Amino acid sequence: MKNSVVMKGTRSGIILVLDKDLDYDELKLDIAEKFRSSAEFLGHAQKAVMFKGRVLTEEQKLEIVDLIHANCDLNVVCIMEENEIVEGSFRRSMEKTIAERDANTGQFFKGSLRSGQVLDVETSIIIIGDVKPGANVISKGNVIILGSLKGNVYAGADGNENAFVVALDMQPVQIRIANSIARSPDKQPVKKRSKQVQPVKETKIAFLDKGNIYIEPLDKDVMNDIRL
Amino acid sequence: MGEVIVITSGKGGVGKTTTTANVGTGLAMLGKKVVLIDTDIGLRNLDVVMGLENRIVYNLVDVVENTCRIKQALIKDKRYENLYLLPSAQTKDKTAVSPEQMKKLADELKEEFDYILMDCPAGIEQGFKNAIAGADRALIVTTPEVSAVRDADRIIGLLEANEIRDNHLIVNRLRTDMVKEGNMLSSDDVVEILAVDLIGVVPDDEQIVIATNTGEPLVGSDSKAGKAYMNICKRVLGEEVPFLDLEETKGFFEKFKAIFKRS
Repeated sequence: MKNSVVMKGTRSGIILVLDKDLDYDELKLDIAEKFRSSAEFLGHAQKAVMFKGRVLTEEQKLEIVDLIHANCDLNVVCIMEENEIVEGSFRRSMEKTIAERDANTGQFFKGSLRSGQVLDVETSIIIIGDVKPGANVISKGNVIILGSLKGNVYAGADGNENAFVVALDMQPVQIRIANSIARSPDKQPVKKRSKQVQPVKETKIAFLDKGNIYIEPLDKDVMNDIRL
Repeated sequence: MGEVIVITSGKGGVGKTTTTANVGTGLAMLGKKVVLIDTDIGLRNLDVVMGLENRIVYNLVDVVENTCRIKQALIKDKRYENLYLLPSAQTKDKTAVSPEQMKKLADELKEEFDYILMDCPAGIEQGFKNAIAGADRALIVTTPEVSAVRDADRIIGLLEANEIRDNHLIVNRLRTDMVKEGNMLSSDDVVEILAVDLIGVVPDDEQIVIATNTGEPLVGSDSKAGKAYMNICKRVLGEEVPFLDLEETKGFFEKFKAIFKRS
């Protein structure tokens, strides 16, 4: 067993200790072999990687990251420098990278959410279906509902004040964005059914401005103010 | 020191939640400080009937798990200052709280409120055990149907086994016309079968359906059901109130219309 490549795991990162004398091309083969054999153990985790024991150029570092991606399902989020060895900084810098990336990425969800169901996601979410009364959607990013919103939505759950909620039919019970909560107006007792005016279904957006949540039709002016 | 009243029935759909909303609102109208607790975790309704669904931020499970303080979870009613609702969680199930935790919560609320009304879920499982844990007395709701009466009998037995002996009966959705024709049990029949004291009879009233849908309890209104609920509230406070004459008082015009309807 060659010890040219030693892998040390921390909670959110991997420290790769490399042999400093071995030929670089040979070292690459060893790294590939190492990750291929540990692929199952490593799984799909998101990790930061740090190199030790050998001075590498930037290109070589990127090349090794590519090599890791090619040989296992591990997702290398960023490369750490040796002087940032503390676990805390490992994690912080990884989470930051993920958060930055997630603000602009999203997931899809197909189907309607019924009462009592909770959809809790780290990224933005696009729901193809309805959110019914009593259902909850929680997202750290934006929430887009291609259907009617009649339940509760929490966008920007980690405090992102630029998060917004869009629905084709906006009749929420409650909308939360970052640290603000808006609730629907109370029902007015209606006298006669025939006199009730059916509200026109229209795509609307809910956004936060100076601590207040506004719901407006999604027109060009509002669209210009969206910050992704 | 307040009193904990559990509103229970065994069978579902007989009007526990409607009764809780109306009796709670009625007691608040009579100047008492009241809190309604929805113990139907996973199938909450009381907030909808009270029209307070859009105000829910924290719920019963959050309080029990100490995620928030009781004060944060209590929702003040739209109309009455001294009426509060502690909503149930929708995303958990009955096992999320234990009878011990409910008793502790009830004891804490007793310090501040005159009446704590527990809206009990249907059934006799965990949810029922949670709801009756801290109760001092019970209001048993039943409709004049054999199935509901049978379940009510079972519930009374369980309440007595749990040392809750101050039990009163509410006969809900009674139709005097059907009783007259002998097609429905009368309130006297129900009392005879169950052998507990009657505290109120609520007629079948379409206004109830409207009130439930708009989230405005109709207690205190001019409708028969509204008056019946108000009387129940007064009796809960210990007042002697004569039972309502539920017979439909038809004016000449209505009688005239009825003749035409029949033909």
